[in-house]
Amino acid sequence: MKKSSLLLSAAFAVGLLFFQAIQKPTIETHDELSMDGPKLPANVKAVVESKCYGCHNAEAKNEKSKKKLDWDEFEASKKSKQLATMSKINEVLTEDAMPPKKFLENKPEGKLTEEEKAILLEWSAGKKKKGE
Amino acid sequence: MKLWHKLLLGLAIILIAIQFIPSDLPPITTENPADLMGSGLVDGEVATLLKTACYDCHSNTPDYPWYSYVAPSSWLVAKDTREGREEVNFSNWEKIEMMDQLAILDDIISEVEEEHMPLPIYLTLHSEAKLDASQRQLIMDWAEAAMDIVVEDEEE
Repeated sequence: MKKSSLLLSAAFAVGLLFFQAIQKPTIETHDELSMDGPKLPANVKAVVESKCYGCHNAEAKNEKSKKKLDWDEFEASKKSKQLATMSKINEVLTEDAMPPKKFLENKPEGKLTEEEKAILLEWSAGKKKKGE
Repeated sequence: MKLWHKLLLGLAIILIAIQFIPSDLPPITTENPADLMGSGLVDGEVATLLKTACYDCHSNTPDYPWYSYVAPSSWLVAKDTREGREEVNFSNWEKIEMMDQLAILDDIISEVEEEHMPLPIYLTLHSEAKLDASQRQLIMDWAEAAMDIVVEDEEE
């Protein structure tokens, strides 16, 4: 009687260990996946490509604009970096600091339309979407 | 009265007179329940580094030296601390929105890496705030890890 109960509890302990062993990796992969930043929504991407990407890309000649923001890097970066960047974009747009005034003097068509600005502002405010 | 006596007297009068111009030195507040130090996000050596290298301008608990109460140096101290707190005040950390916290942490990495912060003029009189390469790396690694923690905490 004692032996069998001992065996039973041993089996239970082994089973528990086994259960934990198979549980853990699934949790970890889930965590890693959720840390990946989401892709840009199509309407945001369209504005970025026509109005921002010219200076803010990986091959940009201007080191400063590339260092401040590189759209080629953005989608590949992790979520925390994306959210930090979005917060800074929101601030810069609210202050009307981008595109730069100097740049717009030579290229007035580079100015963001009200609609484009609204798209970028709403997106960069980071409204939380459930289930993403 | 010799000429240099007059000049000296004039200078003394000016120095006394400017003491009556208010410097608007930001006040010290000792009770800061929302401070970064109490948030659990930072501890140990990095906490000490932040307090010695950043907190004189970026918190409500600066350690004002005597010359911050004497014009004209008080004007510079007042300006730098006022602007520093406007940019980021670690004493209000937990009142800052999650995305703005992330932007601050991200900026800490680049400011420290490029040695823009602590301000060179501040370091001339605060050698204890100088960060060597390994200390800069420590702060940068902390900020990088803290960004992920901030996101994870928000998701829970």
